Amino acid sequence: MGTRRALATSPIGARAACLLPVATTLVAALLSLEPIPLPGYAVLTPAFALMAVYHWTVYRPDLLPPIALFGIGIGYDLLCGGPPGVTPLLLLLSRAAVLRARRWFVNRTFAFVWAGFAVLTVAAIFALWALECLLGWQLLSANGSIFRAALTIALFPIASFMLGRTQHALIGPG
Amino acid sequence: MPPLTEAGGGGAVTPLSMLRRSAAHRVVAPLLVVVSVLMIILGKVDQVMFESVRISVTDYAAPFLDMVSRPFMVIDQFAERVEAMVDLYQDNLRLTEENRRLLHWQQAALALADENRELRDLLKLVPDASRSFVSARVIASSGGAYLRNLMVNAGSDSGVERGQAAVVGEGLIGRVYEVGVRAARILLITDLNSRVPVIVERSRQRAILAGDNSQSPSLWYLDPAAPVKIGDRIVTSGEGGIFPPGLPVGVVGQVESGIPRVQPYAPLAQVEYVRIVDYGLADGLPMPLAVPHISPRAAPRAAKTSRH
Repeated sequence: MGTRRALATSPIGARAACLLPVATTLVAALLSLEPIPLPGYAVLTPAFALMAVYHWTVYRPDLLPPIALFGIGIGYDLLCGGPPGVTPLLLLLSRAAVLRARRWFVNRTFAFVWAGFAVLTVAAIFALWALECLLGWQLLSANGSIFRAALTIALFPIASFMLGRTQHALIGPG
Repeated sequence: MPPLTEAGGGGAVTPLSMLRRSAAHRVVAPLLVVVSVLMIILGKVDQVMFESVRISVTDYAAPFLDMVSRPFMVIDQFAERVEAMVDLYQDNLRLTEENRRLLHWQQAALALADENRELRDLLKLVPDASRSFVSARVIASSGGAYLRNLMVNAGSDSGVERGQAAVVGEGLIGRVYEVGVRAARILLITDLNSRVPVIVERSRQRAILAGDNSQSPSLWYLDPAAPVKIGDRIVTSGEGGIFPPGLPVGVVGQVESGIPRVQPYAPLAQVEYVRIVDYGLADGLPMPLAVPHISPRAAPRAAKTSRH
């Protein structure tokens, strides 16, 4: 348990550090809006917010309340020009699914955690595709979504490592 | 001593039981899911409902997004500079050759401009309305597979209006469809909802350039008797009064199961700056669909647009 630092031991610091999951999820959502000028990036933009939601729901679900996910999701939808409600719905359902399956990932090797994320990503991106098809009332191509899911899953270890390090440094493991 | 987890081990997680301390927690998440679903349905039924909220959120977030996107731009500029240095010799050869060709074209263009001016004088042709433009930087894009739009850091205080054309050096990229005070959103020609009246330059055939979220939009309603060829230039036709005629859009890149696809001239994935041009035609774009009795704004707009 010796990883708690000075920030987490002072009362104000500890309270501020508890905002970390919400703050990182917000940053992750904003990162998806960044216009990174790489060919094809717009289609493949990884679902960064999903990574943060998964990480925090597995390790510190108490610090990522559903209302925060709802707010971040609505903000994201409004800023990216998409139909409002889609992102909060997906983030909240992801959270609920991970909470139910959480016992399988807790205290397991990273491979388990990663596999869990892979399943969640495929389900979430498929759900998004289905929802967009329903809203547009036409069958949309799923090619972009398949690559997007693959890229999201591939980048998860980096995100998980970074989130884990900040978590240990600022909030402590539990 | 860390709290024991549900999985039984000691360690890095918070017990789930802490979440269940209050009954409120159980209610909040399902309630928010229901609210999200209701918002999706409401947004679908009445597209105007969230527009003002969206515009004000965009306005508030614009300075922040502008600031955040700058480091990415610096990184990109650095990468471009390194790339340019590596290709210096090849680029020089290519540009010298291109310059020689362009000088030839300049002579041709000057001669044509003279001839054009004389013919216009002869015909007493009414000149096109003057154009003004605003240059803006892209500060956010819509990540994901189902939207193709860009947010730029210029809004109504810079003179940007709904319906204006967004172009880059190479050609048309889209149109302005949401305007805040400090920011505006551009619907790209590749978006599923984009329809641009175009003309095949060689054959003067009219068609609609329809986006489908892929990188190359398709041409609809072409005359099957006069097929297009790969490499045909596609320019705006000016019909519908949204874009002026003759704006370059792209070339026919391939024909997929009978439907020609257009490769846009503009590198849509790498646009950093756009020019928003006022051709004096901005009235042509109707407002989004709304349930008439909910949105009184839609009616006068519709009357206005019917003149075109």
